[in-house]
Amino acid sequence: MNPEPDQEASGKSDGGISRREFMIRAGATGALLAGAAAGGYALWQREHFVPGFQAEKGLQLPSYALAPDKLLPSLAIAHGPEHDKTIRAAIGALGGMGRFVKKGDVVMLKPNVAFDTPPPLAATTHPETLRAVAKLVLEAGAARVYIADNPINSPTGCFWKSGLKQVADDLGLDLMYPEANSFSPLELNGEVLRNWTFFHEPFKKATKVIGVAPCKDHNLCHASMTMKNWYGLLGGRRSQFHQYIHSIVSDFALMMKPTLVILDGMNVLMKNGPTGGRLSDVKQMNTVVAGTDMVAVDSYGYTHLMERDLAELTYIHKAHDRGLGNKNWKDLIYKEVQA
Amino acid sequence: MAAPVSAPPPTGNRKAFRRTRVSAVERGASLTIVLLLGVIGIGIWWKGRHFDPNRFALRPDALKSTAADVKGKSGTVGATDAGPGETRASLKAQPAAAGESAGPGEESASAAAAPAGKGEPLEIKLDGLKPMGDTEFYNAENLFEKIDGRAPAYLNFNFQNLRCRSFSVAGAGSSYVDVYEYRFDTPVNAFGMFALERDPQGEPLGFAPDGYASGMGFFFRQGACYVQVMASDLNAKTIELAKAIATDRAKNLPASDTGLDGRRRLPVTGMDPASVQFVQENAQGQSFLKNVFQANYDFAGKKLPFFLMTTTPEAAAAAWKSYLDFAGQFGGKATALPDVNGAKIFMAQNFGSWKVIYQRDGEIGGVFDAADGDPARQFVEKYLEGQLK
Repeated sequence: MNPEPDQEASGKSDGGISRREFMIRAGATGALLAGAAAGGYALWQREHFVPGFQAEKGLQLPSYALAPDKLLPSLAIAHGPEHDKTIRAAIGALGGMGRFVKKGDVVMLKPNVAFDTPPPLAATTHPETLRAVAKLVLEAGAARVYIADNPINSPTGCFWKSGLKQVADDLGLDLMYPEANSFSPLELNGEVLRNWTFFHEPFKKATKVIGVAPCKDHNLCHASMTMKNWYGLLGGRRSQFHQYIHSIVSDFALMMKPTLVILDGMNVLMKNGPTGGRLSDVKQMNTVVAGTDMVAVDSYGYTHLMERDLAELTYIHKAHDRGLGNKNWKDLIYKEVQA
Repeated sequence: MAAPVSAPPPTGNRKAFRRTRVSAVERGASLTIVLLLGVIGIGIWWKGRHFDPNRFALRPDALKSTAADVKGKSGTVGATDAGPGETRASLKAQPAAAGESAGPGEESASAAAAPAGKGEPLEIKLDGLKPMGDTEFYNAENLFEKIDGRAPAYLNFNFQNLRCRSFSVAGAGSSYVDVYEYRFDTPVNAFGMFALERDPQGEPLGFAPDGYASGMGFFFRQGACYVQVMASDLNAKTIELAKAIATDRAKNLPASDTGLDGRRRLPVTGMDPASVQFVQENAQGQSFLKNVFQANYDFAGKKLPFFLMTTTPEAAAAAWKSYLDFAGQFGGKATALPDVNGAKIFMAQNFGSWKVIYQRDGEIGGVFDAADGDPARQFVEKYLEGQLK
């Protein structure tokens, strides 16, 4: 069929489009595609991070550690049958709680309350240990004392069954349960811990941080002590870190720079950890280790309280090699006392 | 620009391109779709710009299944678990609303909210015992939510599910008893996990052959279940009730010893009952030794570890041959001994310790890691002669 005369004049072919119109439309389509591609590229996040926070830095915890002291011990080991006296002896050997907590300080105490088990099973920080530490902190003049953990089991159940809620009630401490809005994205240049949700609420006002950990066997990483204790501050589906357990535990020495850590070795869970379940799993060691270097504290705990070979505790070596602490605790200024 | 030139008429079979008129409806629909796409795009962009802590923080639904343990005790996440997007700030205030006045063990109204129900609740009717909350259920996927790093040990024995519940003890202060029923795929795997955690100093139980009392707890294997009944303290009344619970569970759980034939063949004479173990794979580091039972024996004043594996005669013969080959490696020397009651035997010293290994029909076993060769040989020969019962 031949085109109509008017169509010929306009360059159209029987309902078709002119070359000009084609070029315009093709150009517009191309520009749209190019614009979409440019827009997508501009919005593309090359590195995965919490959406919407790419322009901001994730949370980076400040250091709560004191400046190193060349005269006072940085590690203390106390032996004795009573929690209160033994802890006082350990802290006293370090120079007293006044060295770490000043009047008006807001202190965050981090116990290990991972499970809803009773104190005799030694799977959680013993209430008498926490009580003794909290009393020392209050005596030193702390304005406020927080206790917080994000347990594996029901938080309220864990705090109740472990006896720590009773301690908080008795001493008027602020017990913080993990709530959905208590978490903030943490940014860390760790071996495996880089961007993760962190139980930040208790740290917002804290000026000092003290870790109070039990000493116990752990099925995956051999032992849970002061470094592993910080695992309880992570949120989200943290169990996925189990496959990198030694890396993540060593990352905690990078993540947290506490004022002080205390390892409760009064009763040590020697086997079937981290839960235990039998009194026969627990060995009375009547020892408390306190210090400013958690790698050193855990090193002592593993060799002298768990009575094991340090060579197998990979995370200690990782932390030491990364300069995050000293596994050779005898290299530090230390003091061993009887309560 | 040159004037448009009319298109040449189509040639051959080529049809002319015809542009039909675009109707108003089509234009409208197109515009709507484009606008809709734009709105969706803006919505995605806006959503992405606003941080949702719930996406990365706690999973309240996961916590729900663990929240029933202390209802009525104190603030709990049970009945008022925050949903996604909500905070749990109200939890601290919950006791007043959910019955803080309720004493230990008294179920508050909040207990009505059951955690993820995935099975039959653990009901135990005993005087002086009150549930502190609902039954909790776990499976292989979420066992770590209850026992964290302990879970892999259970999963190695083909753990299937766990149901557990806490009970308060009337008239015993804040005492309580926790009951855990771990179910495995087979009785023999339940035995394997039970044996792995066994307290060697535990007191045998009269009501469960594979069981013991240890300190504040009662532990036993019944059928494919490994049961743990743990008191919160050494209060006499609490311990008494814990024992009553254990007895109740042993009575009510189905008994089965399927797969435990090998254990029954282990001689009883001189055996340390608390040392009986079931090893699924790589017993003594040998890939050909699977589903092995082993125990320690006192024999002629010596400590002897003895193992036993039952399988087909062909597999047993192949395993014996593999063991013999291994024993001759790494500087070891294996010596064939005279047959005893139709059993082939060899004796070898490897890495400073002795082993005497036999195979008869579908059974392979023997003494391993013995300090002396002679007692090991005597033990095996006596066993094969039926002199060790």
